[in-house]
Amino acid sequence: MIRQHHRRHLGVVVAAAGFAAYAGLPAGAADQAAVAVGLAIRAGKVITMDGEDSVINNAVVLIKSGKIERVGPREEVTIPDGYRVIDAADKWLVPGLVDAHNHTAGSLMDLNDMVYLSNPGLRTLETITPDNKLIKQARAGGVTSVLLIPGSGTNMSGFGTIAKTAGRTVDEVVQRSPGSLKIAQAGNPERYWYGVGRSFMNYNTRQTLEKALAYHSAWNEYEAGKVADEPIYDPIFHGFRGLFRREYPASVHTQIYQVVMTTIDMLDKKFKIRTVIDHGTFDGFKTAPLLEGTDVYTINGPRQYWFDRSQRKMHGNAARWWQGGQHRLGVNTDAPVVPQRELSFQAAMACWYGWKPYEALRGVTRIPAEALLIDDRVGSIQPGKDADFGLWTGDPLDPRSSCEMTIIGGKVVYDAKIKRRF
Amino acid sequence: MNRRVSTVIVAACMAVGASSALAIPPAKVALKGARIIPVVGDDIAVGTLLIENGRITAIGEKVDVPYDAMVVDVSGKVLMPGMIDAHSSRGLDVPNENLPVTPFLDVYDAIDPSKLYFEDALRDGVTSVHVVVGNNCVIGSVSRVVHPIGLTPDEMTLQPAAALKFSVAPKRGWDRMAQMATFRETFRELDEYLENLAEKKYEESVEKKDEKIDVGPDEARKRGRELIKTEDYDDEHRILVKLTRGAFGAIIYAGVASDVSRAVALAGDHGFADRSTFVVGPDCYKAVDELKATGRPVVLDSELLYRERDPVSGDVKETFVPKVYADAGVEFSLLPSSDNSLAERYLNYQAARCVRYGLSRKLALESITINPARAIGVADRVGSLEVGKIANVVVMSGDPLDFNSWVESVYINGISAYVRDKDVRLKQLLGEEPADVAAESTDSSEDESPAEAPKPDGSAAEEKAEGADKAPADKSSSDKTP
Repeated sequence: MIRQHHRRHLGVVVAAAGFAAYAGLPAGAADQAAVAVGLAIRAGKVITMDGEDSVINNAVVLIKSGKIERVGPREEVTIPDGYRVIDAADKWLVPGLVDAHNHTAGSLMDLNDMVYLSNPGLRTLETITPDNKLIKQARAGGVTSVLLIPGSGTNMSGFGTIAKTAGRTVDEVVQRSPGSLKIAQAGNPERYWYGVGRSFMNYNTRQTLEKALAYHSAWNEYEAGKVADEPIYDPIFHGFRGLFRREYPASVHTQIYQVVMTTIDMLDKKFKIRTVIDHGTFDGFKTAPLLEGTDVYTINGPRQYWFDRSQRKMHGNAARWWQGGQHRLGVNTDAPVVPQRELSFQAAMACWYGWKPYEALRGVTRIPAEALLIDDRVGSIQPGKDADFGLWTGDPLDPRSSCEMTIIGGKVVYDAKIKRRF
Repeated sequence: MNRRVSTVIVAACMAVGASSALAIPPAKVALKGARIIPVVGDDIAVGTLLIENGRITAIGEKVDVPYDAMVVDVSGKVLMPGMIDAHSSRGLDVPNENLPVTPFLDVYDAIDPSKLYFEDALRDGVTSVHVVVGNNCVIGSVSRVVHPIGLTPDEMTLQPAAALKFSVAPKRGWDRMAQMATFRETFRELDEYLENLAEKKYEESVEKKDEKIDVGPDEARKRGRELIKTEDYDDEHRILVKLTRGAFGAIIYAGVASDVSRAVALAGDHGFADRSTFVVGPDCYKAVDELKATGRPVVLDSELLYRERDPVSGDVKETFVPKVYADAGVEFSLLPSSDNSLAERYLNYQAARCVRYGLSRKLALESITINPARAIGVADRVGSLEVGKIANVVVMSGDPLDFNSWVESVYINGISAYVRDKDVRLKQLLGEEPADVAAESTDSSEDESPAEAPKPDGSAAEEKAEGADKAPADKSSSDKTP
């Protein structure tokens, strides 16, 4: 009885600490206390999104130092003393949603620097705006990781940044920089100057990548001891070294058959860059057979359907990608095109147009995390991973469900009971 | 070969969105019992055409058909070589870039294999397309000859880097003086670039040896020229260097008769006269003598009947353009119209009109097959039905110059690429119920749409065979069980 009381008392402290962080107030000693003790969540259902696609009913998840400590059925997992308990026996605990195509984690003003047709040296890291209005809304929708990429006004608009949706400083929110290189294969850069066609755009993109590759190769030779003189450091192309080492992918704004085909051919097959097809809309899904034997991901949307005039037929984009054999498939919001909090709706829409519900849920959690090479930290509920979750009233793909609580790094960053946003 | 084969099949299934496992098309096909129009060589009243591994290996009245060849009965049909579209920008997303001078660009980067144009080309019996940028340019980009089937430009390609496009007719918003001045400036700059490059190469070589430059600039450039390697040229000049040095072809557009002399001069002045093909507007027939003097092939605009009104009498004079070239003995190719609603979209209709205006049947057929093949430099592989050539074969229901004849089927690289019976879109157009849809409606589990690209014969036959086999097979097995 005393113990329970103790727990409840601590819970209040932790909740207060969480609220403090969420409200942008300075977090004090209470914060440290919360981290030291640990957190236990009793959930009605845990969608783990682990390798075996386990779903654990009546589960307990233990969290310590911001990481997941243990996941298991209630009868197997004992909650250690001193842990704060969140009792959500009627709720679904779902991995924090991941959006691989986002523009709202930054200032929104600095999306497109239309200086050149390709602007390889830019970084969205410089535009990160922690805890902005749109990001507050994002976490209320259970979204915990976003890739902030620059716009598609030019063929190459800079390096993106993977950010968490809670934190007060740039250092706190940044998960990885560079998150990816943004390339717009076609489908907006056309408007540059007096207008350019695909021959020129593709030539231009290829030229930039070849320069970057030459730079990378020169450094490789130097590092391997083949060349004595250190190459001259180039701030524009140095960021490409990780790209060619496949440490982070290229996020490619690409849609329509010919353009997606070029993306696959140029970036994946010729430059051997880890490639993520963003959008992939219109008849882009017809390229699915070209992806056999590659590790290219497709993060489809925000358009979820395409009306084929020649056949007079409606196609669900995600369903068609899936049917064509592309199973490394997720969806995005392109926020603020679709509000970031509606990532789960995007997945629901994809199902409405014929995709499979569980796969769609995977497509907003594990798949985008894999696509961005951050699945060692987020995208699933497994011991050792970041404690990023949403507690939902039901299936996130059911539009009637709502996210009641969002936890990032073991901290409650949104609680509908304290302040409901939606 | 297998890679290529599966590609063609997948391309056909692309619209359906599913790439189910399909049988590999047979390596050997014998088309038996048809009238054969080889274009080069005499017609064969009833004969057999044998295809092995994508090439024509035998053709004649009596052909020894290997035991393992798939024999296709085409009795009563007519075989002809696949027709060739010698100049088209319809496979590109936009016909032209805004930049006036782009010899560093390649149509490869803008070819869209999913364009309806390619599907239509196949349907109309065209098996090779020379994809060239449009005429709204000064120096355009590098062209490419493709088969109208495949998932990527690489898979479609018959001849990469076919020619460099020039337009003597002014680019939109330009006049002829600016157009010509740009040619002069481009080639002057090329000379300057080569001189500088030669000088640089010489200096580099001297530096390497730790010697001093002890010769004048002229001698330095002369020595440097020999040191230049192919990879030293930058993108902007590489193709122009090849063109002027005799290793690249040009395709030059002249809009009106007065453009012709300038087009001829352009090629002559810069050393590619012997590798140029002229694409000419209808009015250019007036300059037929100048064109004849070049000895080069000419590609005619799709508007074959040219009308002019006499400014004094008001009388309309009609000229059937190909006849002028035929009478002058100039080798010409016909183009299909880019307007899909006109009969001129069919190359065999264009050829038939030549016969209507008194040209020989042989010449008419050559002007849509072997002549365009020569004009775009692929006559060693396509353009006629001859042993050793790529098996691009069109099966017509009757004489190709009879407009009641249909393209029944098309073979590209010896693989069935089009079968009219499976052409769902054509059937929809003609108001019949598409057979495929009817078949699928009974098989409710399949969510297949009418095929966008025509299905290859092999795959469709395979599917049908499976479907047909199933019911009787079940029956017989149940008969056997007791």
